[in-house]
Amino acid sequence: MDNNRQGAKASYVALVFFTGLWMILPSAVRRFNREAFAEFQAPALHLVGKGRDLARYWELQSRSPEELVAAARDLARINAALELKIHSLDDARKENTRLREMLRYPQSTEFVTVVARVSVRETSSWWQRIIIRKGRSDGVRPGCPVVFGDRVIGRVSVVHLTTSEVDLVTSPGFRCTAFLEGDDQYHVVHVSGRAGLALSAPRAMVSIIPLGYNPPAGQIAKVMTTGLGGVFPSGLTLGTLEAGVQTTSEKHMQTGALTPAKELSFIQEVSVLIPKYPTAGEILLTPADTGKAEEFR
Amino acid sequence: MNLSWAWLFLLLATFPWLLGVDLLSDSIAASGVCLFISGAAIIAPCRRLRRWQAVLFSACVGFLFESMRPIPDGSLALLLVLAAIYLTSHRDEIRDMPKMFWAAVLVNGLACTVWFIAAGLAHLKEVPLFSLHFLGQWLLHLLLATILAVLLLVPLALVQNFAMDKIGVPKPDEAA
Repeated sequence: MDNNRQGAKASYVALVFFTGLWMILPSAVRRFNREAFAEFQAPALHLVGKGRDLARYWELQSRSPEELVAAARDLARINAALELKIHSLDDARKENTRLREMLRYPQSTEFVTVVARVSVRETSSWWQRIIIRKGRSDGVRPGCPVVFGDRVIGRVSVVHLTTSEVDLVTSPGFRCTAFLEGDDQYHVVHVSGRAGLALSAPRAMVSIIPLGYNPPAGQIAKVMTTGLGGVFPSGLTLGTLEAGVQTTSEKHMQTGALTPAKELSFIQEVSVLIPKYPTAGEILLTPADTGKAEEFR
Repeated sequence: MNLSWAWLFLLLATFPWLLGVDLLSDSIAASGVCLFISGAAIIAPCRRLRRWQAVLFSACVGFLFESMRPIPDGSLALLLVLAAIYLTSHRDEIRDMPKMFWAAVLVNGLACTVWFIAAGLAHLKEVPLFSLHFLGQWLLHLLLATILAVLLLVPLALVQNFAMDKIGVPKPDEAA
């Protein structure tokens, strides 16, 4: 028994020593450790995601042929309408390019879209995030915007080899600039996630709303991305501004709550927008790694 | 079988339970609560594994929870290691089932508190540490962690004991 207690004392001393060592270790070591444990879990997360897909597949298999025929007919109609839209957008794109060239206006960021299935959703008071089944091997980079249709879901925060962690719009780590629908002067407002209350729907916060702003009468004001900063393309919907905008204590701005554009807790598939070329932020963060920038060019 | 790797095999046997609780959290994602069982998962192994094995096992369980969440590195893992050292040097305190329940509730609750506070430290500007918001959230997470520890300890311990029997880890009395 004495040996056991002596061994315990030695273990406590070793733990204190290791804790001190852990705190002064370079962050690269801690990052490697985190990455190793994340990769250990990745196959299981893939398996879970694929299991869900399989369940969905068998659920669809059980549908009657009439239902499938009706769905195919509806899709064909939607496709036809979208083709028309593509033609009109193509004309607008050419016109846009011509005008940009005339004005020598800088090209907007181009994105490659990667569709990813959601593996697991993680929520707590301090974070709201999803883990998607696409990672570094698919070209996903930290900071890439994540959308569903024209609605913003969040931003990639951590990338692993085959999985990525996405901070949702409502997560405290999320920050973005936005325009408000109905604001003719296009004032830039700030959207940020906030620590949420458990057992209630997560919300984000819209701040620095000008005092003179009035939401359009009889409708809910949409909050849309500005495209400033080059992370999110402009015109994507972040959500809607809830009623009950409040004046700040300094009485020079207003703040309000934002309801996300999509029910974030039930989303099953998202698109990651990967910039074709490194963004300004990425270049600034890796000044020495000029070879990588060359590679992108 | 070489007993040096018993902790790793036991980790592989425990991992599906940790993943299962993560999936349970996923299914109630809209409620904004995170379910937690890692603290209770180290109780049964601490009865039978050697101290260094229990320490490695506990550290890995802690790091697994931290790796996919924005929790400061090592905060949970180091606490579980501390709990493992204490439990392996006081095995009489987890000798029978009622004592194991107490230990599971205490360790799971303490570990839940540590990760909750560690994760919350990053948001002190928006939510002060001593506020009703913080206290309410913490109590809710603590309550759920406690309930889950009581509910899942028996099935989890059964699986872990079965795995340890198969690996050839000595019974609790022999391990002491």
